[in-house]
Amino acid sequence: MSHILPHLLNGLSLGLLFALIALGFMLIVSVMEVINLSHGSLFALGAYFALVVIDPDFAWLGSFGEAYRALPLPARYGLAFLIAPALVAVVGMGLEVCMRRTYGKKAEYGLLLTFGAALVIEETIRVLWGPSEQYLQVPRDISGAFLFGGLIYSKYKLYAALFAAIAIGLVWLFLERTPYGAIIKAGAHDSEMVRALGINLTRLRLLVFGLGAGLAGFAGIVLTPIWGLRPHVGIDAVIPAFLIIVLGGIGSFSGAVTGGILVGLAVGITGAYASDWSLLSMYLLLIAVVTVRARGLFGKKSVLEA
Amino acid sequence: MPRMKLTRRSLLKGAGLLSAGTAVTFMGPWRHNRVYAAASDKPILIGLTSDASGQYANSGASDRRGMLMAIAEFNDRGGVLGRMVETLHVDTETTPATGSRAAERLISRNECAFLIGAVSSGVANAISQVAQKYGTVYLNTNSSSPTESGKNCHRVKFVWDGNGTNFAQAAVKNAINAYGTKWMLMTNDYVWGHNTSAATRTLVEQYGGEITDEILVPQGTRDFSAMLLKVQQGSPQVVAAAVGGDDQKAMRQQVAELGLGESMAWINNQQDWPDVYGLPLENLFGVFGTTWYWKLDLPGVAEFVQRYQAAYPDTRMRVPGNVFYNGYMATRELLSAVERAGSTNNRKVIQELEGLKVSAQDRMQHHDAWMNPATHQMQQTIYLATANSGTGDADDMFRMLSQSSPEEIRDTGADAACMMESLDETPSYEM
Repeated sequence: MSHILPHLLNGLSLGLLFALIALGFMLIVSVMEVINLSHGSLFALGAYFALVVIDPDFAWLGSFGEAYRALPLPARYGLAFLIAPALVAVVGMGLEVCMRRTYGKKAEYGLLLTFGAALVIEETIRVLWGPSEQYLQVPRDISGAFLFGGLIYSKYKLYAALFAAIAIGLVWLFLERTPYGAIIKAGAHDSEMVRALGINLTRLRLLVFGLGAGLAGFAGIVLTPIWGLRPHVGIDAVIPAFLIIVLGGIGSFSGAVTGGILVGLAVGITGAYASDWSLLSMYLLLIAVVTVRARGLFGKKSVLEA
Repeated sequence: MPRMKLTRRSLLKGAGLLSAGTAVTFMGPWRHNRVYAAASDKPILIGLTSDASGQYANSGASDRRGMLMAIAEFNDRGGVLGRMVETLHVDTETTPATGSRAAERLISRNECAFLIGAVSSGVANAISQVAQKYGTVYLNTNSSSPTESGKNCHRVKFVWDGNGTNFAQAAVKNAINAYGTKWMLMTNDYVWGHNTSAATRTLVEQYGGEITDEILVPQGTRDFSAMLLKVQQGSPQVVAAAVGGDDQKAMRQQVAELGLGESMAWINNQQDWPDVYGLPLENLFGVFGTTWYWKLDLPGVAEFVQRYQAAYPDTRMRVPGNVFYNGYMATRELLSAVERAGSTNNRKVIQELEGLKVSAQDRMQHHDAWMNPATHQMQQTIYLATANSGTGDADDMFRMLSQSSPEEIRDTGADAACMMESLDETPSYEM
């Protein structure tokens, strides 16, 4: 047991990070019924924006730039957590405006548009920041290693899991304890009824897309100090995100979190004992779950389904 | 004068003879059928099969820059055999199936005279199978699985990078003496990783060491925490990692974060420059191999770096690395071989490359290099290096530890494994 315990704990922390990646994706799919293939690119964009916020290297900033860069890293890092996701949210809202012409049409239109957006965002990143590997600095206090039970663990990974847990908690509070959350959930369940009740569905979609994109950007800032930062890092995020929401049940917050944790545990444990199966394990888990429950773990039948 | 009588039978016979004659004259025999107009002003078209996306996108870009600089230098001197050299690039996406399609298209549709470029051994193998089918000379610039010049060798393929066995030969014996006999392998789960780790395992066992465990790393792995916990639980004296591309970058970052780079010895088979350029030096732990470094104290190196900087003033990578170097050298030697052959005829070019010898000065390495005609792998100097922590120059990341001559690190297994097609079995062409 003492041998497997570190891997269970590691899998759990990994699961929280996977759940964080899937959250924004889940919100957009549930309300808009759009599979946002640009989720990964928005994830990457968040990390690149954070790179700029943490270390802006622009001559035109003049003395302000120098004074800003003189701020301690934790302060700039904290600002990055606020500013970068907000900027990604704005990009996401811009994308939602472009998507309006696809509403009511076949799902392929939305898929193609978000896929195209993913390519555009990735190429823009390549042009602006170059194709090489970048390094997102984290404050010294939350990086490095610590010893526990005779094994060395990453301090940052622990903090990253904590950030993920906080973000998951905040999103849960927002969805479950605020009227806006109630509207979003109602919109996910039956958008036509929400419109009939006089709620501005256009604005709701804009805000949800912005929130989903912002969460993707937030996940990018949390994850890239572990995964590394390169223009195509988004592909590493969008595939697990998609898998997790199908596994957990489309539109389900609990499903996304549970799905993320299950995927984390599967990847973490196979990574230790059958490492060549570690990536495949998430797909096997998905197959096992949807074979028994086609709508995923917490998926419910929509009123729109026949 | 007798009148010829045109009967249906004679008409059919005539048509049949005409068709057969046409086929023999213009189409057959199949092995020698690709002779294209090679007018003196017709450019020589080269297909660049380098990755622009996927795991090796960054290295692919560096590889391509090396090829393009060599081609630009020839064109500035008036081209090759009086003909300009043009290029066509197709993204091979670090995917073997895409590599096959790209090669098929570049050869049969675009009529490229030669193909150059590879970082992934899986992709290189796929391209070379297509190239061999058409007889198209193909340069594997930067992939380093021992199988590329071993069991997957081909008459048309020439391999320019050191391979896993070469690097293991350079590192293993010294590492056993310096660090201990208890080794663990971390192996990227594809052709290069498996073959490189197999070469390491053979050498470790040969020198009295023991492989306690092998951790397979699937391509696309981003979280190494479970594997690194497993490494700690195994407590080896040496970890030999054959992990490449983006996987390696993620692994390095996570090993550095845990400080495992100092608590056990790490032998990283080969370290491609684009994979580490710009990263913190802490991420560059352990000992690793390379074929070239921009600060080698050898004639021509500084001037080569200046030429790179003049050609690519805007690139973020301010100095060239081993991947660029291999792309450049391979292309330069191909075009020189065409000049020496006086023709683009593939068989003549192959024969020129098989007899290739390059002086140490020309290669900007410590030892003379030569093409092994039995395996088509360039036999060259292999360097071992580690992080250069005592410098103020951010670009001077490597501290060179040793250099081995081609004879010291020769992959004799490749000689035995390579069963190359004969020149006569290889379709000929001239463009």
